Amino acid sequence: MILPLTTLWIVPLIGAAVCSMMGSRSKHAALIFSAAFLAAVGIIGLLQRPTEGLLVINEIGPAWAYGISYRLSADSLSIGLIGLTAFLNLICVIASWELEVSAGYWACFMALSAALTGVFLARDLFFFYIFWEATLVPMFFIIGLWGSSNRLHAAVKFFLFTFLGSVLMLLALLALVSAHHRATGVWTWDLAVLDAGTLGSAAPLVFWGLVLGFAVKIPMVPLHTWLPDAHTEAPAAGSVMLAGVMLKMGVYGLLRVALPLFPILSWDALPILGGLAAFSTIYGALCAMAQTDLKRMIAYSSIAHLGFCLLGVLSRTSQGLTGGALQLVNHGLTTGALFLMVGFLYERSHKRGLSDFGDLASRAPYLAFFFGFSTLASIGLPGLNGFVGEFLSLSGALSALPVLAFAGMFGVTLAAAYALPAFQAVFWAPAGSGSVSAKVTDLNYRERAVLWTLSGLMLWIGLAPRPWLAWFEPALRGLVR
Amino acid sequence: MTAAQVPLAAWLLFAAPVSAILFGFFVMRRVKPEWTHLPILLSCVIVTAAAFWLAADVYTGHSFDLNLFRWAAAGAFGVDFGLRIDGPGVAVLAMVSLVGSLIHLYAAGYMKGDAAFGRFFLIFHLFFLAMIGLLTANNYVQLYLFWELVGVCSYLLVGFWFHKESARAAALKAFITNRIGDFGLLLAVLLIVLQFKVTHFHLLYLKAASGVSFALLPLIGVCLVWAACAKSAQFPLYFWLPDAMEGPTPTSALMHAATMVTAGVFLLVRSWPLIALVPGLPDLVAWIGGVTALFAAIIAGTKKDLKRILAYSTVSHLGLMMLALGLGQVGAALFHLVVHGFFKAALFLCVGNIAHALHQSTVNVDDVGGLHKSMRLTYLSFLLAALSLAGVFPLGGFFSKDAILDAAWHHGGPLALMSMLVAAGSAFYIFRMLFLVFYGARSQQKDAAHVHEAEPILGIPVLFLALGAAAAGLLKAPLERFVVSGLRGLPSGLPGLNLVLNLPGELFLPHLNWIVAGLGTLMAALGAATAWRLTMSDPGFDWRWRGGVAEAMFESDFGWKILIDRGARAVSRVADCIGRVLDKGCLDGLIEGMAGLTRAAGTLIARSAQGRVNDYLWWMVIGTALLLGRVLR
Repeated sequence: MILPLTTLWIVPLIGAAVCSMMGSRSKHAALIFSAAFLAAVGIIGLLQRPTEGLLVINEIGPAWAYGISYRLSADSLSIGLIGLTAFLNLICVIASWELEVSAGYWACFMALSAALTGVFLARDLFFFYIFWEATLVPMFFIIGLWGSSNRLHAAVKFFLFTFLGSVLMLLALLALVSAHHRATGVWTWDLAVLDAGTLGSAAPLVFWGLVLGFAVKIPMVPLHTWLPDAHTEAPAAGSVMLAGVMLKMGVYGLLRVALPLFPILSWDALPILGGLAAFSTIYGALCAMAQTDLKRMIAYSSIAHLGFCLLGVLSRTSQGLTGGALQLVNHGLTTGALFLMVGFLYERSHKRGLSDFGDLASRAPYLAFFFGFSTLASIGLPGLNGFVGEFLSLSGALSALPVLAFAGMFGVTLAAAYALPAFQAVFWAPAGSGSVSAKVTDLNYRERAVLWTLSGLMLWIGLAPRPWLAWFEPALRGLVR
Repeated sequence: MTAAQVPLAAWLLFAAPVSAILFGFFVMRRVKPEWTHLPILLSCVIVTAAAFWLAADVYTGHSFDLNLFRWAAAGAFGVDFGLRIDGPGVAVLAMVSLVGSLIHLYAAGYMKGDAAFGRFFLIFHLFFLAMIGLLTANNYVQLYLFWELVGVCSYLLVGFWFHKESARAAALKAFITNRIGDFGLLLAVLLIVLQFKVTHFHLLYLKAASGVSFALLPLIGVCLVWAACAKSAQFPLYFWLPDAMEGPTPTSALMHAATMVTAGVFLLVRSWPLIALVPGLPDLVAWIGGVTALFAAIIAGTKKDLKRILAYSTVSHLGLMMLALGLGQVGAALFHLVVHGFFKAALFLCVGNIAHALHQSTVNVDDVGGLHKSMRLTYLSFLLAALSLAGVFPLGGFFSKDAILDAAWHHGGPLALMSMLVAAGSAFYIFRMLFLVFYGARSQQKDAAHVHEAEPILGIPVLFLALGAAAAGLLKAPLERFVVSGLRGLPSGLPGLNLVLNLPGELFLPHLNWIVAGLGTLMAALGAATAWRLTMSDPGFDWRWRGGVAEAMFESDFGWKILIDRGARAVSRVADCIGRVLDKGCLDGLIEGMAGLTRAAGTLIARSAQGRVNDYLWWMVIGTALLLGRVLR
């Protein structure tokens, strides 16, 4: 029996196990397994192209106690996000190839990928929750063990903060499942079977519990303060996975669980959620303007970008949903590239303040080129990926929540006001006293290869987004209001 | 028409620059960076030839508008990318390609020996490509794409000498201001999608002509005008342009003449059928244009930096184009745009020649005087272009400015008066510049005896541009035909169309009106005479009046610059407040504080459970006492 979906999360998990046993050669194992993982996603994706209608693969195991059953399913949204996970995982392995780290580092990344894949596959809410929580553990170690100076504080803050969100989510899930049992006499955790109508008057409470759990992950202002610390202290590759995939879990949760289960409640909550999303875009951008640390700036810009995404998704129009989903991928590529480059800078100079460099455009032209390119993609330059997502999200949002979309658009304008001064300070301004630019050598072949790949994808999505949108669209069609 | 029938010239318009840029980036920059310009100059030749080929096609009635591929789609929503080769587009395209190519040639000489020669040419050509894309786009999303690309290239070129603090600041100012304008364009495009479901120009014209009233149209129109104000440097968003001359001089020439600032006017030309439908909006455009033209002309007359004088002059002339548009004279606006491209490019490059001869990046009126002997060719070019700018018969500027003056004259009222004052003002500032730079030298100016004429590669393109500026009046008839052929494709019944074709037959540019032509020439003569009086018969005047309130007023653009600076500082202060105080201090502090509180509570409780038997005995006693108390009651 072939279990394609189980293979998807088992491959990186085996990879993690192998890595942890290989000692000094573990990075080779990590490379092989992450390549195999990406290949596996690629094969499944290619074999099951969503040409007509929905792409869905199901794997259903036997029911256990309380109706818990191993139930995986993948549509184009899941496969797309798993593809992003696998791709960024491989990028991370290649990017940290020359780091002096123990076997555990590589094992943690593989384990993280396994757990993330599980989240995107699980359709049984029990397993969904298990995978959801399982992502925290490797990330906790990645930040806490291989982060920079203040890593322990950041790791604990990250864990407790997001764990608190998950606990709310768990309570909501338990309430939902037991209400369903009370009403129908059947124990089930199956997302497709559960009916929020059985909750009666408790429905809003459960809905908001779920939403809070997801909002912490996204993160939505004011639940975002774990993010800048976690990003700043995490190693570069950790930041890439954190921003590139883990933040997406929140939006995915909304798309997969909260919106389908509570279609009417989520529509009623739109002014609040959309308001917070629009607020996040402006607030994130303003905060980013005030930062003096490159990583913190990028972290706050993530908050703003995810705000656009949410605006699109919440509008529940086909442009908004598809654009929002594409924006998940876009943000992973763009912000991933930016975090990697800050990581390269940090590896060379052990600094990442805006005023610690200067004149890098002359000293490291490749780095300047890629950083400039990714910055432009990140501020939504048309022709690059960020614009497609923003345009479609805002276009969707404008028809559903015009005022909020209008407010969110200020974020687009503000983006230039934080990203370009930062670029100028690092790459254009003359090196001041105390500058560490002398230590910064230009990118080597390995690093350039990674960034060419990322930039190429940014350009491709920007110039011809249609196949990408067509990939995501069928999975989201059911959510259109 | 299918994609296979698209003329080769249209493909070359894109294929040549794209391949030149890719080849330059991947091959030439590594192999022989000082030759990066060669494939790019070849591409310029091809593009110019292609543009004129297409112009000839359109002239003979073969314009087309075709969707080539679907860019993005979701649900019922889709955006196609394609090509629109029509009269207005191709008229500007021909000017942009010719002027742009001459500036490219000039830049090859001007930038020679610069450490980043290769980078300069690549970005320069990308800038050119972006403008070509903008002129041939057939829908708003595609136009927006190239619009932003134009903005980014100008950012990179203005900040080209990024070691200079002023260049970095100017680049940032230009980009952020443009971004504020782009907010308008993005919103307009999104609203167009929302209201009409399509972004294709022609379909929009059809819908607009259907007679149905659209609730969002006024808002769309205002947003488009806002966007044009930023790109075409109109009040209230004009202030980035005078600073943007921090880039190398060829950049300024390209930006001011061909590729950047004309984009805003062109956007309004494309959108005119929509904007004309909104009551009051054309008047707003006319007023913005008139006011900007007048004030910029006044300020231009007070500046000392040569490039700055020309920058304000550009703002003023763009204002004239906006005025023409606002009065419904699309043809006059386009005509002036084309003529302005020639004379402004020539003027900028003349200043470039002077700067090059002095080995400076910018030139001030203090630096030189009496150049007409040592730089004969530059002087001749400057003179031709200046006379054209001032609107002296029979040079190009006379005809294009006359068309606008005529429109304003027929409109009457304050706008007519303002346009006449602009005519006087522009003659004043350009003659003042001419006299100050090429005659003299005055005692306040450095001696220019050592200055030599520029090399041929710098001199000849300028001369061609100046000759173009002089002869551009001949373009009146072809331009009419271009615009008419462009309009003929428009659906009939469009109110904007009647406004544009306000004259019988196919002539829409006004016939020469002797009163207006005479008045205009009189005003120009008045301006020139004043310039003579204040620079030649009283040579010290320009240095005497400075200092004090008057100069402060002109330097701050009547206070507007101060307001803008305050606004920018306020935003960054708010950001600082939110980022440092609110987010880090309050919000994160609250959360960290909660963690601290939990920890404190933990320590407190832990203190009660430290494994001392005595404590536990006491707890036992208290507990037993409580229990007993409960039971015995």
